[in-house]
Amino acid sequence: MPESPIMTTETDKQLVKSTLLGETSAFGAIVERYWNMVVALALSKVSDPAEAEDIAQESFLKAYSQLAGLRDPSRLAGWLSKITMQQCYNSIRKSVRCKNVMGCKATPLDSLDEISAVTANPGLTQNQIDFVRRTISRMPEKFRTMIVMRFVAGLSTVQIAEQLGKRPGTVRVRLLRAYKLLRKDLAPLLEEVES
Amino acid sequence: MMTCEKYKNFILTYIDGTITDGQLAELKTHAETCESCRMEFKRCVLLQDVVKHAFSSRTSAEQAGTALVARLSAEPHLRLRPARLGTALFAGKRAAIAAGILLAIGLLLGFTLGRAGKSARTPLTARVPISVGKIEGTVLVRHEGSDVWQALDASSNVYLGDTFHSTSRSACALRLDEESTLELNQNSMLILKLYNGETQFFLEHGECTASLESPHGPFFISTPNGRVEAMGTEFTVTVTDE
Repeated sequence: MPESPIMTTETDKQLVKSTLLGETSAFGAIVERYWNMVVALALSKVSDPAEAEDIAQESFLKAYSQLAGLRDPSRLAGWLSKITMQQCYNSIRKSVRCKNVMGCKATPLDSLDEISAVTANPGLTQNQIDFVRRTISRMPEKFRTMIVMRFVAGLSTVQIAEQLGKRPGTVRVRLLRAYKLLRKDLAPLLEEVES
Repeated sequence: MMTCEKYKNFILTYIDGTITDGQLAELKTHAETCESCRMEFKRCVLLQDVVKHAFSSRTSAEQAGTALVARLSAEPHLRLRPARLGTALFAGKRAAIAAGILLAIGLLLGFTLGRAGKSARTPLTARVPISVGKIEGTVLVRHEGSDVWQALDASSNVYLGDTFHSTSRSACALRLDEESTLELNQNSMLILKLYNGETQFFLEHGECTASLESPHGPFFISTPNGRVEAMGTEFTVTVTDE
């Protein structure tokens, strides 16, 4: 069970405040807290882990430069997730343009596998990791965000609701639907891993 | 089975991250002896682990934090930007749009309720023991304090301050008691006013005819030109411009 990164919203507020006062180390703490969530959100949109990390970095840098414009620091995670999704769309658009205009080639999936193999995950093979990523990336965005914020970032449905400005009941229903869908789609893989 | 239902709910709260430590310990204890719940819980934990591992970053969060802080220090162009005026204006614009929408809703509601209320509004003045008799054509009535004219009908209540208006093709009779009536003839306007604690009939213009029971007490009809007292049982008062 992942541990919740924000049990107190005050800490987020304090970190934002300190960052705005010029303490870059406070921003480092924000990055540490939400790095996994931001990378996971990016990975749910782009298949390349290196690209996902680039997107995550760019997202944090954008968040840093626009931090003074964050109206409610207690919704930092929700705000970061929106910036990340926007960065993903920008990156995808750029890739498409690059492919169309300059003839860039996308990295082949096989070579990606080689790169991703260093991922610290003793329990899953690379094929299984890809299968999980593909399954989640096919889900509607509202489900993907729930899955990542809950299972990767470790936020509870109450915290997710607060971050996204939605009602906890709505988030709970959405998460359970996403969970059931995922469980059904990943059933063969789970059996494989269990055995 | 009933017990398992309870633990199935615990598993759901585990999924949404709101399970308490006590509930989790209870669930784990139960799972040791119940195969069905054990499999369910195990599958749930495994699914979460699989997702977490599949989406884990190659760079640790600590490394990423340190690297980004180093980059912020090394690259001076990466700096905090002051809150843009545009952000504030945008917030103001959104507030203005919200206020506009609320105002429009308010106006619409006010208009609707006002219209609805006006037709059913009860005047603040007292009701008088006068009823509406025969009506020819459409006679209009307006309650005191209102600017809405309504068609008078036989079931209309009559209030102090009411103004009755007949046109060239309409007339009506007001029943003052069992045997007394006051007829408002064509092109006339009659107002019920309070005078010395009594209801006073004020003929603004036009003509009205009173038919009173015999004998009757003092009965007056006021006009812009003076006050007329009824001596007999039947009389007509006319107010003209001449």
